[in-house]
Amino acid sequence: MSTFKQESIFTNYFYKFGSLVLFIIVWQLACSIKLAPETFVASPLVIVKTFLKWAGNGFLVKHSLISLTRAFYGFILAVAVGVPLGFMLGGWFKNFESLISPLLRFLGQFNPFALFSVFMLLFGLGEFSKVAMIFWVSLWPILYNASLGVKSVEPLHIKLARSMGLTRISILWRIVIPSSAAFLFSGLRQASATAFFMLIPAEMLGASRGLGWMIINAQINYQIPQLYTGTALIVGFGLLIDTLFKFLEAKVVTWRQDTGL
Amino acid sequence: MKLSPKKALTRPVTRYGLLALLVIVWELSGRFNLVDQSFLPSFSETIATTVVMFQKSFLFTHTMVSLTRVMIGLCLAVVSGTILSYLLGRVLPSVGWTLEPLFRVFGLINPYCLFPLLVVFFGLGEAPKILILAWVALWPVFFSSLAGLKDIDPALLQLARSMGASKIQIFYKVIIPATAPSIFNGARIGVEMAFFILIAAEMTGATAGLGWIVHNAGALYQVSRIYASGLIIVLLGFTINRFLIFVRDGLFFWGRASLSGRDSLLPQNRTRISPLTLKAVTLTVAVVIGLGIYQIIMAEAKLNDPTVIPEYRVWTE
Repeated sequence: MSTFKQESIFTNYFYKFGSLVLFIIVWQLACSIKLAPETFVASPLVIVKTFLKWAGNGFLVKHSLISLTRAFYGFILAVAVGVPLGFMLGGWFKNFESLISPLLRFLGQFNPFALFSVFMLLFGLGEFSKVAMIFWVSLWPILYNASLGVKSVEPLHIKLARSMGLTRISILWRIVIPSSAAFLFSGLRQASATAFFMLIPAEMLGASRGLGWMIINAQINYQIPQLYTGTALIVGFGLLIDTLFKFLEAKVVTWRQDTGL
Repeated sequence: MKLSPKKALTRPVTRYGLLALLVIVWELSGRFNLVDQSFLPSFSETIATTVVMFQKSFLFTHTMVSLTRVMIGLCLAVVSGTILSYLLGRVLPSVGWTLEPLFRVFGLINPYCLFPLLVVFFGLGEAPKILILAWVALWPVFFSSLAGLKDIDPALLQLARSMGASKIQIFYKVIIPATAPSIFNGARIGVEMAFFILIAAEMTGATAGLGWIVHNAGALYQVSRIYASGLIIVLLGFTINRFLIFVRDGLFFWGRASLSGRDSLLPQNRTRISPLTLKAVTLTVAVVIGLGIYQIIMAEAKLNDPTVIPEYRVWTE
């Protein structure tokens, strides 16, 4: 990407992690010299200790896996529904769009937490109410970006393809999907971030396992080290998911540098 | 945009037809007992419950409490996010360049994890709730403002400088107008997130607000109240969003039609807001905030008043 900016690898890494490392050092020092009260602030070393303890007794793997599974199922469902629907809305069926898009616009603004009570009522306390909520929050970015991607396809390209006698299927496959891929990926990235973000409060409200439950449990029992470790863990997962999607985007959408979003 | 007579007639039908159909199906399924009434009360019953809740006057209080929290949180986020981004983007760019990754990590901190800490530091009152909303809305505002600063056309800055504008003049005449649309876009994302988060926050740790009503209704298994308060939350979120779109189209009428994902399905028409409308809008917002603060104080007072019937707090039929 930065071909014009010649930087050594060292500066690059320093830029990426320097401030973070500095922040952690200052934090640790503040805890060590008792500047920050121990009852409110857990030091990075304590966090690492708690983390290792959790990793040792399987607690960490169990709850992380549950949360990630929920997020994954909700997200996959949203992709399965959102991408085809978004493509249809993007202009292949004009009448369908004008009929359904006002409704979708309205539905897209539903507050997921107002729905959460309803989901719990309808689907019970099990896994499905959480998955349904993740599905709901991640559906909209995917849907909107998919339809935006189709709308932004260069009409000339489609005309060209048509005049060369391509069938509708191959126009979709060769022109529409590649042109809209950048938008699609940015929708997927937004959706993955939102899904993971909203999962935590959902698990706090109605779950007995998972990362959100871990946080609320630490909060109720006033376990400050556990609270900080859980927070750090969630940040770590958030970073990981974001990096994963950035990586995928860079690998798949190689022909376009900037999505503009 | 003029519509042909035929289109003017069919447009409302295509626009609201499906929504109306959904409501009718909902109502009929209740009327003819197609679904269990204890899980899905009919539309008319939900509306009736909403009216009763309004008559008992506490729905208005809770709505205003929630709305005010969002507004104050958003104001805090916009002010601090803008100042922070100007400081790091223009005044001290090298510091900003170094600190940006750290802020990205901060933006990933789930507000829920912060909530207990904020309670420890600021007590159980309004402060932690408002601060959590400010935290949620701060990062979208900050990052999009920063992006807006980076996108300022250097030619504009050079032009202003060559015409002998002072630094302050450049700031007022070039930088602020150039970044305002980005800040506003960030604020829109922020307020949406904040409103989502608020409902969940009120569900877990509050004694007033719409989220609390939903949670309370769920705990007492008053199904029609769950739907009624859900309906109010949805309508409030919808109103906030439409209001912000209205303000954006009026204030930033010169901006290119920015196609952020969410608006891709919206028709684009922007005309400049008249000064009178702007004044009216500002006044309305001020009045709503004032009324809301009054309601928060009232709700607090009623909560602490032992003579008030418990009905106010836990509403049962």
